[in-house]
Amino acid sequence: MSRFTRGLVPLTIANVKSYVRDRGALFWTIAFPVLFVVLFGSIFSGGPTTFNVGWVDQDQSPAATHLRAGFAEVSLLNLKDASQDDALAQMRDGKLDAVIVVPAGLGAAMTSGGSGAAGSPFQLILYTDPSKQSSSGTIQQVVGQVVGGINQQLSGKPPTIAVQPQTLQTQNLTNAAYFVPSILAMALMQLGVFAAIPLVAQREKQILKRLSATPLARSTLVGSNVFTRLLIAVVQTLIIVGIGAVLFGVSVLQPLAVAALVVLGAVTFVSIGYVIASYARTEDSANTLASVVQFPLMFLSGIFFPIAFMPQWLQPVAAFLPLTYLGDALRQTMVGGAAYAPLYIDVLVLAGWLVVTFLISARYFRWQ
Amino acid sequence: MEPAPPVISVADLHKSYGDVHAVDGVSFEVGKGEVFGLLGPNGAGKTTTVEILEGINKSDSGKVSVLGLDPNLDATQLKERIGVQLQTAALYPNLTVVELIDVFRSFYKHSLPTSQLISDYGLEERKSGLTKELSGGQRQRLSVALAMVNDPELIFLDEPTTGLDPQARRSLWDRVAALKQEGRTVVMTTHYMEEAEQLCDRVAIMDHGRILELGTVDEVVSGHFKERSVRFGTVPAFDDAHLAQLRAVTRVAHETDETVLYTTDVPATIGDLDRLADQVGAQNLDVAVKRPTLEDVFLELTGRALRD
Repeated sequence: MSRFTRGLVPLTIANVKSYVRDRGALFWTIAFPVLFVVLFGSIFSGGPTTFNVGWVDQDQSPAATHLRAGFAEVSLLNLKDASQDDALAQMRDGKLDAVIVVPAGLGAAMTSGGSGAAGSPFQLILYTDPSKQSSSGTIQQVVGQVVGGINQQLSGKPPTIAVQPQTLQTQNLTNAAYFVPSILAMALMQLGVFAAIPLVAQREKQILKRLSATPLARSTLVGSNVFTRLLIAVVQTLIIVGIGAVLFGVSVLQPLAVAALVVLGAVTFVSIGYVIASYARTEDSANTLASVVQFPLMFLSGIFFPIAFMPQWLQPVAAFLPLTYLGDALRQTMVGGAAYAPLYIDVLVLAGWLVVTFLISARYFRWQ
Repeated sequence: MEPAPPVISVADLHKSYGDVHAVDGVSFEVGKGEVFGLLGPNGAGKTTTVEILEGINKSDSGKVSVLGLDPNLDATQLKERIGVQLQTAALYPNLTVVELIDVFRSFYKHSLPTSQLISDYGLEERKSGLTKELSGGQRQRLSVALAMVNDPELIFLDEPTTGLDPQARRSLWDRVAALKQEGRTVVMTTHYMEEAEQLCDRVAIMDHGRILELGTVDEVVSGHFKERSVRFGTVPAFDDAHLAQLRAVTRVAHETDETVLYTTDVPATIGDLDRLADQVGAQNLDVAVKRPTLEDVFLELTGRALRD
């Protein structure tokens, strides 16, 4: 039995038992993220999962009818025929989420041999409400894809890509689909930045000193602390993903990649937690420092809203924060959706943070 | 027959923290089966000395050998064979007594059965209770039990009875006496002179990083005080001038309602005191003879009480 493994399992079990019996810690790492998922999920995706869209047909040609049928196939959209004035009035009253206008001339443009020769394509008009960011974004996506599919059909070639409503739904990030990976990332971050606080407390209460008088290796002590956190991370992930699936129908596209990212993210933030512990003398100051670290991470990393919605001057800050990349990577692998950075960049940035913070804490962590 | 090599041998040990000489040239030996006491106020250097012996702190210079090992170099090997109790160390508050003992046992190659430790240290009733719910005495017993999990040859006890009520203190003293009976060597630090007098075969009195006195309690005390004190309830009819002329009396003092005669010959002084009492008609003098204590030695050496 090597020195590292001796005592590792019993100490990890003891850590988990201590953890589970500490109601406060249990609340912050399990109940708190769960509350977040349920609350945010319910608040922001409590509305209908279909959008009422006004359909204004000013062309009245067979082509326009064909187009309408294409939109009507999308279960996300609930079409309502109306005149333009009527439709826009309804939208102002909040009865419609968007209005699509088919101007006169569509049928003529089609029969004249498509849009290609004339240069500029025929223009559909789409009204959306920019103040409802997520619904308007979704509608724009859906409309764009339907039109794209129909363009392909019209081009005469056999459709290489068919418009499948299923594809539309996974690509379309509902609020819950955005929040579930985000909150998983946030939970892993919190778990990590507070990870070394038990060690600071044990240092303060001289438990570390007592342990140092036994043959237990320091690497075992740290390893056990990290394994404990990883176990908690796994439980957190299962709970958050489970709630996302059961309550909000968010499924996981790439379970293995998500699992790998959960481990990488947890270890990276645990390492950041050790840096915090290296600079804190007492349990109280470590707690304060961890809180000071967690709040900017929480609000500037695209957890609650996409980074694109942040003020320009804050966006470079987000580009520096590790949580930005963990959230982005988890969103990409769990629900698809627009990437902030390519996945390998996400992984590289997280790994970079891991290496740097590991070196800092290995150098500066005080044992006594 | 060769005498057994000492379990601990320390020669000219030094350790500084910045400008502070925590340990400033300490030398002593502890033999097998001995109970050795390190006495001194806080900051005297006891803790640093003990930590160096335990292999959890490194010395600056000096020669240290513990169980034939160099704690600076062979700390891990050494830690397998020693037991350490730290007075100030908390325990994992949310583990039960049994769980905590089991975790500590997993750190060692060789360990005693949990049930034996539980019964040796009187923890049966609380074995399933969380350590944070233990009384002070139970906690202290558990702390010593944890020091015993690896069946150590050498045990370090740090203020083992501080904060305990007299009964709990007695019961711990019995345990320490039992350790000695089992042939183990014990090094303990303490503030309580009575404890040192009861338990320790030899003591070292430390202050400012140096050993001021080293020897058996008797040696240390009689090296400093040739006198004994004869005490009795103050009799108004006596006057100090008369008392000072009694045989062998070197000094007369008053403590609250007692008169104290320091003497180099107790029977002579008491004989004279009896006659004096007869002369003035004082009856039933409640006379007690006391030898000076380590506390008195300490007071004389350092000018302050041990428990500052």
